[in-house]
Amino acid sequence: MTTADIYAIMPLIILTAGCVLCLLAGSLRPGFYLYPAALAVVGAALLWCVCVPAESVMPGMTVNRFSRASSAFFYATGLVALLMAYGYNRRRGIEGEEYPATLLFALLGMGVTCSASNLLMLFLGLEAFTFAFYILVTIERDSILGGESGLKYLLNGTLSAAVMGMGMALLYAGSGTLKLAELTTVAGIPEPLLQAGIGMILIGLAFKLSLVPAHLWTPDVYQGAPAPVTALLSTASKGAAVVALLLLFPLLQTWQGGHDLLWLLALLSMLTGNLAALLQPGIKRMLAWSSIGQMGYVALAFVAFPAGGDRAALLYVVAYAAAGLAAFGAVSILSDTSERDDIDSYRGLGYRNPLAGAVLALAMFSLAGIPPTAGFMAKFAVFAAALRAGEITLALAGIASALVAVFFYLRIVVVLYMKKPAELSEVRALTVAEILALGIPGATLVLLGVYPQPLLDLLKAILA
Amino acid sequence: MSNLLSLTTFLPVLGVLLLLFIPKDSKGMLRNVAFATTVVTFLVSLPIMFGFQSNAEFQFVENVPWIAAGPFVMRYFVGIDGISLWLVMLTTFIMPIAVLSTYTAVEEKVKEYMILLLLLETGMLGAFISLDMFLFYIFWEVMLIPMYFMIGIWGGKNRIYAAVKFFIYTMVGSLLMLVALIYLYFKGLEAGFTNFGLLQFFNLQLPMSAQVWLFLAFALAFAIKVPMFPLHTWLPDAHTEAPTAGSVILAAILLKMGTYGYVRFAIPLFPEAAHTYAPLIATLAVIGIIYAALVAMVQEDVKKLVAYSSVAHLGFVMLGVFAFNVEGITGGLLQMINHGISTGALFLIVGFIYERRHTRLITDFGGLSKQMPVFATIFMIVTFSSIGLPGTNGFVGEFLVLIGAFESELRWWTIIATSGVILSAVYMLWMFQRVMFGELDNPKNQKLKDLNAREIGIMVPLIVMIFVMGIYPKPFIDKMDPAVKKLVSQVRPASMNVKKMPEAVPASPAGHTGIETPAGHPAAPAAGPHAAPAVNPHDAK
Repeated sequence: MTTADIYAIMPLIILTAGCVLCLLAGSLRPGFYLYPAALAVVGAALLWCVCVPAESVMPGMTVNRFSRASSAFFYATGLVALLMAYGYNRRRGIEGEEYPATLLFALLGMGVTCSASNLLMLFLGLEAFTFAFYILVTIERDSILGGESGLKYLLNGTLSAAVMGMGMALLYAGSGTLKLAELTTVAGIPEPLLQAGIGMILIGLAFKLSLVPAHLWTPDVYQGAPAPVTALLSTASKGAAVVALLLLFPLLQTWQGGHDLLWLLALLSMLTGNLAALLQPGIKRMLAWSSIGQMGYVALAFVAFPAGGDRAALLYVVAYAAAGLAAFGAVSILSDTSERDDIDSYRGLGYRNPLAGAVLALAMFSLAGIPPTAGFMAKFAVFAAALRAGEITLALAGIASALVAVFFYLRIVVVLYMKKPAELSEVRALTVAEILALGIPGATLVLLGVYPQPLLDLLKAILA
Repeated sequence: MSNLLSLTTFLPVLGVLLLLFIPKDSKGMLRNVAFATTVVTFLVSLPIMFGFQSNAEFQFVENVPWIAAGPFVMRYFVGIDGISLWLVMLTTFIMPIAVLSTYTAVEEKVKEYMILLLLLETGMLGAFISLDMFLFYIFWEVMLIPMYFMIGIWGGKNRIYAAVKFFIYTMVGSLLMLVALIYLYFKGLEAGFTNFGLLQFFNLQLPMSAQVWLFLAFALAFAIKVPMFPLHTWLPDAHTEAPTAGSVILAAILLKMGTYGYVRFAIPLFPEAAHTYAPLIATLAVIGIIYAALVAMVQEDVKKLVAYSSVAHLGFVMLGVFAFNVEGITGGLLQMINHGISTGALFLIVGFIYERRHTRLITDFGGLSKQMPVFATIFMIVTFSSIGLPGTNGFVGEFLVLIGAFESELRWWTIIATSGVILSAVYMLWMFQRVMFGELDNPKNQKLKDLNAREIGIMVPLIVMIFVMGIYPKPFIDKMDPAVKKLVSQVRPASMNVKKMPEAVPASPAGHTGIETPAGHPAAPAAGPHAAPAVNPHDAK
């Protein structure tokens, strides 16, 4: 391994070292001082990613602009989630070094995923962060819902991992190589092996993206997990799965059935997610179903891959991540010490806690795709790509379902601002960490909605 | 200064930033800052009016790159012509009045209210000045959110229903428009266009079948906003529930977005389709005029009555615009301004009595003129203006609309629509009579105070405008005239020349207007060389 290689994977080294040190330090002297330390670790990894243009090709891993930009995105998301968890876990009594250490480990897994250049490394990365989430979802040990959701996530997750692993094995059996670049060029993979392999990998990824019909775990897990964990689960982990799909996409394109499968996944997810979200009384379950719908739009972008769908998909993921972080961040702050899940219990909270309320409303507008928020730009990119690719039916279904979605997103805004508050409790001043955790995604939503050009340029550069 | 338009548009946002730092309990301060912001915006917009040259070109143009996403290139491209000039001025003129009217009407959540008002102003101004279709769409949607909050938070009993209805109606229309926009852009790409700039799309040759669909999508979006019968049902709800300033802005400016959309986008972009559907739209407009007038007549609630009168008035605007001749369109545009002033004033008047009595039922009033003479005078003048009495602004617009429409293919529609003029006199005067005259028998009305200085101050500019535009409308017409003629030339040839000359499409009006130029258009030969490059230089940028 050369120095250049070490430079290139330095963020991963930082994260690994941070994770181990965090565990060790925690066993000596537990406490919340580990959160700022973990923040510093993530910050360092993020800075390195952004500032040091070290790139290299290693066995199994390729660090290039694409992987650097995606890991920067994951680390930034992790940073916000950690900021959010700092106050939340303290209020909820989620003590111990496990939380920050596991979160660092999850980020490590995502970092590996986006720089993977063979199937094995990709699988390792994907399962590494999913594994971390098995722990994080159940981190609140006394919570009954947490335990239930953890078990559901674990069972579904291992099943999908097994299916995906089997798919990769089939591809390897057919082609004799694990390298992503070679897989697309190897001729003579027996047709059934190729199709089964691609199909099974898609199913595995559909689980991680919670696309219908692999979505059943989503509402329970979103509801049961602590809000900051859900925030990370619904944004960075989805983002990592999208990146994995992007890496595998050249392979998928070798078989027309891959397109058809995605088409179906997109349609089902958009319709099911948005329709089911209409009926949810709880905010977390509503957001869970809505995220299923949102991932349907990402799948739609992949269907429209030849017409610039890759860029649209990444733009959508970034916009969705900002909105997801903002929404769950606001929920975790508005919940305070109680478990505030019933949408009706958010009555009038927009005035009690102006910043959290405004950010939540902004996130809702963005998820609904209303300008001038990032969500609109992203939806525009996706639908335009779909129309350009000639996927008229799917685009129309998407637009119709987006219109349906306006109803339930608006419902939150209505409750926040237009209903009289039920009770008047003490207003707590927000901490700096909380203001940052709300402010960063909130500002991103507006900035991307008004001037998305820098991000578009970046996406163009990394996808070239 | 070349970026005067942007300055005007985004000044209110600066005001918002200022408001954010004022504690929410110092209500006086908040109100004054918001008021000052709108006044400054108005003052800044004055040079636009005085510096505006009376020609058909777009002026105060700014055109800088904004977004480039693959095949999609959006630019920050703004500018005004004689059509949008007056709508921009109307907006900056009405806003200080609207803010001032809320000094006592809104006591709760003043900070949020003022912030929303200012954001709304930016959205409206932005929509009027946008010459990039995507930019227009963004501003068009931006207006939606503040208005939604204003109705939903400060509205009356049914406010949430009204707010959501308003939002969903508008959203359906705009999504359709967005799809049409994307489709249109792809058509433009095939023709070699490289961005969303509006002006080049006027030259785009579209097959009739495509035009029809695109026109219908745009027309539906705008028809919801106008609102045209039978899509008007959100309007009375929204108006009844909205607070006074919300109603004023809604009636005076937001509704103009719909008619402006027809004039700026739907008609010149798809002239053949517009011609094909003119009878349909005129029919709906006439139904709207008569139906809304009849419904207004039986309203118990003054505010609802005024809301329905809006529907009727905008029916006249639509009739004028779809006459496709200079008189009709000029009348329509004037009527848009007139309606902004007189209906804005009417909603303010309703607000005054509502603040005093907390009721808007006609039966609760009677004989107010004895108790409130100043109020009675002002109310009378505004009522006359709304009816369109000669000498007031309403007359000029309505008269031009009727003349224009009568001379066009819409003669029979005009004849029916004329009865709407009489009906409007009936419902307005009858309402005025029941509220202001008769016995002052309700004890609660006997202690009513007349208008105070602030309230008179609000009304005076409006009254002045009513008379200025009624007695000497020439400056207004002169400034919009070249733009209107250009619009007519864009629409006319389509119907007149069955066989089209490919190189002589709207870009060179000299070719077309030649048929009708000599008599009515002394300025045309001079305008010709101006007008031809008017379209092209922007494309080149």
